[in-house]
Amino acid sequence: MTKLEAKNIVKHFSHESHKLTALGGINLKVEAGDFVCLVGPSGCGKSTFLRIIAGLEKPDEGQIIFDGHPVTETSPERIMVFQEGALFPWLKVQDNVEFGLKMAGIPKEERAKISNRYLDMMQLTKFANSYTYQLSTGMKQRVAIARALVMDPDVLLMDEPFASLDAQTRDLLLVEMQLIWEKTKKTILFVTHNVAEATVLGTKIAVFSNRPSIIKKEFENNSPRPRITEDESLLKLQQDILAELRPEVKKSRE
Amino acid sequence: MIITGKNFTPHRIAFYAGIIVIWQIISMVGVWPDNIFPSPYEVAEDLAYSAADGSLFYGIATSMWRLSIGLAIAISGGVVLGIFMARVEVINQTVGSLVLGLQSIPSIAWVPLAILWFGLTDVGIIFVTAIGAIFAVTINTYTGVKNIDPHYIEAARNMGAKGTQLITAVLIPAAFPYMISGFKQGWAFAWRGVIGAELLFSFLGLGFLLNAGRSLNDVSQVISIMIVIMVIGLVIDTVVFKKLENKVMSKWGLQ
Repeated sequence: MTKLEAKNIVKHFSHESHKLTALGGINLKVEAGDFVCLVGPSGCGKSTFLRIIAGLEKPDEGQIIFDGHPVTETSPERIMVFQEGALFPWLKVQDNVEFGLKMAGIPKEERAKISNRYLDMMQLTKFANSYTYQLSTGMKQRVAIARALVMDPDVLLMDEPFASLDAQTRDLLLVEMQLIWEKTKKTILFVTHNVAEATVLGTKIAVFSNRPSIIKKEFENNSPRPRITEDESLLKLQQDILAELRPEVKKSRE
Repeated sequence: MIITGKNFTPHRIAFYAGIIVIWQIISMVGVWPDNIFPSPYEVAEDLAYSAADGSLFYGIATSMWRLSIGLAIAISGGVVLGIFMARVEVINQTVGSLVLGLQSIPSIAWVPLAILWFGLTDVGIIFVTAIGAIFAVTINTYTGVKNIDPHYIEAARNMGAKGTQLITAVLIPAAFPYMISGFKQGWAFAWRGVIGAELLFSFLGLGFLLNAGRSLNDVSQVISIMIVIMVIGLVIDTVVFKKLENKVMSKWGLQ
């Protein structure tokens, strides 16, 4: 079943006096339960594309069809996990995780029941009463993921959530992310500039071209899980993706 | 901040004791007559009298009551105005420029207008107090909301926060560190405003007692009331606002 479809998404930015076309007509079909990784040269508009799906930005042309209806505004059905987490520093970890539930008017006891489940899943129970500045970057990303999962969204939109993590923490979270996906059966769109990360996580990898970007090629990835970055079975795929990506990265630097 | 660390350090105690001793010596030497330059003892005596007959506490209560109402109006009005200015560009371009202009008017300059509009009443004094403080709160709130990381607002909207929910659950707490500076400035303006207005309205309160001391040629009373005004200011600054500030800063991990 098609969960989400991007139809010819175009987005311009005005940079100083000249107009810059970031997205030059993105077409993408996402099936329910897909884990789609979006890779591309930096500045190609992957994050913008994610924000458009989230309803945080409007495309200049084209539309996003979600469950058969065009996306017009942001909604908890499509929850975004931001690169730096965007956790609220004035709230404790548990209150951060419960934020969306509170906005939805869910009573306190029920909120606690739901949030405790996800705090446990993300191994955050010990930190429930901490403020976010007391956490490491990896812990913060865990909170951000828990905060998103609590909303039980149809689609999870993740914008380079592991970009600022150290290698060990990232490896750990890559394993956990696969478990979460298997457990929750969420449809996930995951932006990354790291090809190895994309092949570990994705059932599908979409390669963005340089600006004005289109999706240059899509790869299927059916290797058995759990996968790790060094899996030999992923090597060939990684090389194929890099072969598509390299000329685009080169163009983006010219 | 001028006042940091413990309140009763040996240095500080010695300093104030020194001032009182020097003051006492100057008055004993008799450079100026007693009715122009009273000794600390006479000032303390005057303070004790006005405390004993209740006029001091009645004056303090009156001033504090007017201050509280005026400041409450200034804070609630200033926060609302500041948020609207930060979030609605049209309001910023229109009302915003006026706010900047009005902020440059000293509280005391509102007194004639307040007397003409409200007469020599509590309402007039509260008006002066509130209007002297509101724009500092407005401007700090505006700056605070403008400086909120846009991702906080996007994340909140994405999780379903809308309208007043967005304001109370995100905009206000996220801008709070700035808003506290606004409250502090607002309180300082309000305190000056209420005392100044009471002086000119000459209608109860600490400002009135100051003026009464002047008309009776009672320098001790004037000095004793000034000391009371200073001490109340200091206490509210350190006890209320410094505490509030510390609490927020440590919660955010900014300390």
